[in-house]
Amino acid sequence: MTTPGPGALPQGTLDLLILKTLARGPRHGYGVARWIEDTTDDALSIEEGSLYPALYRMERRGWISATWKRSDIGKAIKVYELTDSGRAELRSRTAEWGSLITAVGKVLRAR
Amino acid sequence: MRDDRPPPHQIDDEIAFHIEMQTRRYVAAGLDPHAARERALRRMGDIDRARNACTLISLAKETDMERTAWSQGLRQDAVYAWRVLRKTPAFTATVLLTIAMGIGATTAIFSVVNTVLLRGAPYPNADRVAVVWNSYAATGLSEAAVAAAEFADIRDTSKAFDAVAALRPQTTSLSGACGSGPGCEPERVTSYVVSPNLFDLLGVTPSHGRPFAAADGVTGAPQVVLLSDALWQRRFGADPSIVGQTITVGAVSRTVVGVMPAGARFPDAPVGFLRTPADLWIPYGWEQSRKDSRGNQMLGMLARRRAGVSIEQASADLDAIAAGFRQQYANRYARPDVQWRLKAVPINDQIVGDVRTSLIVLLGAVGVVLLITCANVANLMLARGTARRRELAVRSALGAGRGRLVRQLLIEAAMLVTAGGVLGIGLALAGVRGLIALDAGNIPLLDHAGIDVTVLGFAIAVTVLTGLLVGLAPALRQSTADPQIALGGAERTAGDGSIRHRLRRVLVVGEVTMAVVVLVAAGLLVRSFARMAATPIGFDPDGTVVAQIALPRAQYNDGGKILAFQRELLDRFRALPGTAGASAVFPLPMSGDGWGGTVIVENQPAGLPEPHAEYAVAMPGYFSTLRIPVVDGREFADSDVTGTMLVAVVDEEFARQYWPGESAVGKRISPFGPLPANDPRWTTVVGVVGHVRNGGPRKAGEGQLYLPALQKPELTLYFVVRATGSDQPLPAAIRQTVRSLDSQLPIGRLSATRALVGRLLARERFNMLLLSIFGGVALTIAAVGLYGLLAFLVTQRTREIGIRLALGGRPGRILRTVIGEGLALSSLGLVLGCASALLAAPALRGLLFGIEPTDPLTYAGIAGVLLVVAAAASYLPARRATRIDPVSVLRN
Repeated sequence: MTTPGPGALPQGTLDLLILKTLARGPRHGYGVARWIEDTTDDALSIEEGSLYPALYRMERRGWISATWKRSDIGKAIKVYELTDSGRAELRSRTAEWGSLITAVGKVLRAR
Repeated sequence: MRDDRPPPHQIDDEIAFHIEMQTRRYVAAGLDPHAARERALRRMGDIDRARNACTLISLAKETDMERTAWSQGLRQDAVYAWRVLRKTPAFTATVLLTIAMGIGATTAIFSVVNTVLLRGAPYPNADRVAVVWNSYAATGLSEAAVAAAEFADIRDTSKAFDAVAALRPQTTSLSGACGSGPGCEPERVTSYVVSPNLFDLLGVTPSHGRPFAAADGVTGAPQVVLLSDALWQRRFGADPSIVGQTITVGAVSRTVVGVMPAGARFPDAPVGFLRTPADLWIPYGWEQSRKDSRGNQMLGMLARRRAGVSIEQASADLDAIAAGFRQQYANRYARPDVQWRLKAVPINDQIVGDVRTSLIVLLGAVGVVLLITCANVANLMLARGTARRRELAVRSALGAGRGRLVRQLLIEAAMLVTAGGVLGIGLALAGVRGLIALDAGNIPLLDHAGIDVTVLGFAIAVTVLTGLLVGLAPALRQSTADPQIALGGAERTAGDGSIRHRLRRVLVVGEVTMAVVVLVAAGLLVRSFARMAATPIGFDPDGTVVAQIALPRAQYNDGGKILAFQRELLDRFRALPGTAGASAVFPLPMSGDGWGGTVIVENQPAGLPEPHAEYAVAMPGYFSTLRIPVVDGREFADSDVTGTMLVAVVDEEFARQYWPGESAVGKRISPFGPLPANDPRWTTVVGVVGHVRNGGPRKAGEGQLYLPALQKPELTLYFVVRATGSDQPLPAAIRQTVRSLDSQLPIGRLSATRALVGRLLARERFNMLLLSIFGGVALTIAAVGLYGLLAFLVTQRTREIGIRLALGGRPGRILRTVIGEGLALSSLGLVLGCASALLAAPALRGLLFGIEPTDPLTYAGIAGVLLVVAAAASYLPARRATRIDPVSVLRN
């Protein structure tokens, strides 16, 4: 029931990116992909298909919620939104990520 | 916006949207569409894997949600169901009414019947207690009292019984220990002189104080008394400190040693000649009055079987004792032509009597009404299911799963049947209370009735199951039906529709059939009761008022004083304005007071059974006052006083039995034992009067013997006053007249004579009422069912009717068509119902009086009632059909 993350990214990184993306406002799956692509200049080369299992998993955990809306072009689209518990998750993950980077940096800088 | 579609569809949409957007973006950037799509797909990576992963997560999530949000979903469904049910108030009310009536009526009636007929006597040892009688099979006298000597012999020699008790009723005056309020005047009460072990034998103990001890019954012991709960409540305000106080019973001061609980007022109900419930009990060891004479048979006798001894073994034991009697007193017991024996009747059979027939009939009615209820619930639910096919099809097409629909319908059905059940319970409670109020006091044990939980449970279970199963049917069918068909106006095309319509017609015909059966039974009982009430009872109670006046022995201690007062009272009654006559008697016919005994008839062969008769003492003018015909000789005159020739009046029955073919006038009898031929104490018969049905219209009763009160003064008499016009003012006038003579004198049972007499018809009336209620319920439910079906058919045919109207069809014709359909179904049900009733009616025979179970008038009457109700039930939907607006139908 769990899905392996994309090979290029460390475990859990994709979740963090999605949470951060949604923290800026509700988006559909494509919107999330576009925002990551645009902010990173497509540097992460995420397999966009893998976004969806991540979204579904986070929805199941209650970090994000989804609603069906009608898009400008008349299609039914599913829009994801950060929940309160998702915001909390983002805060703790961001902190974790920071300390991880610091720790790894220390190791790499060590002589 | 919600989406109930299965997860894979949602994911596909999302991914497709993603790819499309991405493709557009690349096209906008200058790529040709094909390449743009290729690139978008490449960016997606392994779509299948993503898709599967999402599906799995969704399913897992759904399980989570089902687990956590089940209750929330239930609430949603319930709210939705509530809205749906409120939108169709007619349907909802009809189902509720049907269920409530079905459950309520069956439970209430069965509960009461169960208490009165099935549960039996409320004594812990009741199933081991039997009543022992002298039985003379050849004479029809099968439950005669027992002599003290016989009781003592059975007590000493029986092996089958571990306890025996004897008792004898007497009416006594009661005073003392109650202050001086208006409720504390001296009064007449029914006391029983009982073996001290009576209540121990029955297995009941006092609620206050102590039971009798064996020593209480010994001659010379301190005088004690036990009070009934009823007397304690009524006269002593339920004051527990009455125990230990002294009251005056008869002329004897007695210490109250205890109060019996409400459920133990032996006899609660008539046990043979022990007819009146006890107010108090006085202990006496009846074996002490064993005498050589075995003719003074006046005791009721109870015997408790040892554990493990069957009623057959007990009977065998009594037979052995009887054989001993025959040997020892051959001239008394051994006469072959009377077939004497000692008979034991289980006390439950004795109290409840021969009720098997009533029971079977009423239980049958319960079952039938329940069946009608279920048929109707099924019918209504089926109709609703059909009407909702569209809605369900839409929801199904929108992705609602079968489970979802099942749950929704289940909740709707559950809400309906639960509400109906609750209403039903309320109705049952009210019904039981109503039935008790209807006839408490006249029907044995009726006031002990409460809701029978088993039946209530059964009725609810049956109805609820029906409701749920049938309520679910549309959901189950829906899962197999193609939404396309249902959405595309399947009402006219779906093949199973006609099957369902046929099923519904069958259900309605079945309902009518069953209702007719119950109605016929009720109708037969109503007619039978009318016959019974119209049966000549031998006297005319209408227009007379009766008052029981009992003189205190202490004050009226000789015959002269008694008669002086009673004659004065009669003179004043006769002088009252608007009176056509007044006299007095004891006991009053059909009043429940009985007084029977043996009598010596001159020149009759000796041996058992001794001539036996109902006794009564009457004042001059009694027969004319109650309009009992004098067929030979004369009635009592003012000159029949002490010191003149002793006289008696007998009834036709007595005269026929002992002097067949000759005139009874001038014949001699002796009510008080054997006499030498030339003794002046022989009593001469001076008149013969019509027979009075003392035991009610069903029982012919034995011969009757009247003695003149002027020669045999009685302290207690029923004074009967006949009015010339209305008897309304008489009771007040009677009360005032008595008060003017003696302000301390208690007046008992002051009422129209008709009311006292009516009690004997109580059981019959009760049966009739119960079945009539059932009949009414059955008819109502069936009518509701018919109405529901026709209303539904009209709705289904709205289009067709609209077209017909548009093409010039006349409304009258359509009205006739719909009503015709209703009448056709009802007539079929009527025919089947009458046939079933004819088959079932012989079971009723035992309950009927004076009419045959095939009484054509009853059947015709029921047919008429049913067709009228059916026409009415059909008229409403038919009228609605004629009001269909063709224009709006065609536009839709």
